[in-house]
Amino acid sequence: MDIPEDLQYTEEHEWVLTEDNTAAIGITDFAQGELGDVVFIEMPQVGDLVQQMEPFGTIEAVKTVADLFAPVSGEVVELNTLLEDSPNLINEDPYGEGWIIKIKFSDAAELENLLSADDYKNLVQ
Amino acid sequence: MGRKKITCVYLNLGLTDYQTAWKLQKLLAENRLQQHIPDLVLFMEHPHTITMGKSGREENLLIDPAQMTGKGIVYEKVDRGGDVTYHGPGQLVAYPILNLSQIREDVIWYLRQLEEVIIRTLAQFRISAARKEKYTGVWVGEEKIAAIGVKVSRWITTHGLALNICPDMSYYDYIIPCGIRNKNVTSMVKSGKEDVTPAQVIPKMVNQFAGVFQFRMMPYNHVSRPVLAELLASHKMNY
Repeated sequence: MDIPEDLQYTEEHEWVLTEDNTAAIGITDFAQGELGDVVFIEMPQVGDLVQQMEPFGTIEAVKTVADLFAPVSGEVVELNTLLEDSPNLINEDPYGEGWIIKIKFSDAAELENLLSADDYKNLVQ
Repeated sequence: MGRKKITCVYLNLGLTDYQTAWKLQKLLAENRLQQHIPDLVLFMEHPHTITMGKSGREENLLIDPAQMTGKGIVYEKVDRGGDVTYHGPGQLVAYPILNLSQIREDVIWYLRQLEEVIIRTLAQFRISAARKEKYTGVWVGEEKIAAIGVKVSRWITTHGLALNICPDMSYYDYIIPCGIRNKNVTSMVKSGKEDVTPAQVIPKMVNQFAGVFQFRMMPYNHVSRPVLAELLASHKMNY
């Protein structure tokens, strides 16, 4: 299972890549493997405001339908529209082509609540 | 886990049609979210039903839906991931309505616990089963004995697991289960437990829910659970 060192993680099996004041968000390699083939992603709209730890969408895979939680509060600035037709990108490339949304975060201090790669490794092992 | 044991109420609704069960689950989930009722596990069996998930492909149906009624089969398109599945008498279905916020907020952990409940229940009957990398459900060798499909919304769980105890396996001839070709399905009877019935399996599975989730499992009692009794009555279920 792949857990890149340069990302941050959540206990809900999401990864976060921050660049300036924007956070790209997806689900981890471990999560995609456990949930099975992703069949549908329900996403918010660009411009929507999300709250840390609150659901912003849903992920439907063969074993589950579950909420996606915002790792940071802020405004949705970009969606991975490729997922509409190809949700399986999440299975094929969870840390790359399978990213889900980008959030312009309002409070950088919230990032301190996220897990390091080591923390996440401990969580899933 | 160091926490105090959570009370979880269980009840057996017997033979219940799929739609009624789904509407009841949604109602109970809403009430679980509002903290009106405790964690629950609903046990039941469905009449012959073939369900098709959102990602299901019609080519995995080996019978024309129009012909199903004549064979006494109900066809349902359902709001879940996954492909085509069969339910019927002799297959025990367990639908846990749990608030994972008070247990552990982790969908993947929850899936593993459900698999563990099934594996340990089967072990009680000396059937050795396991999860299978990349495939859903629980397997005995190369044959699937139990299916799992859950929905978790606001950390409240619906849907659940289906364990083949003693169903008429010929109904599986009408589908390619879960869209997986070249994989067969089995039951507890087919796995060597000849006379086993859902009534025998339920108490064992209740014990495994207790062990795996650290629950204090309590049988449903309508006197001590008036809110739940009212919700069940609204679905014409007199328990």
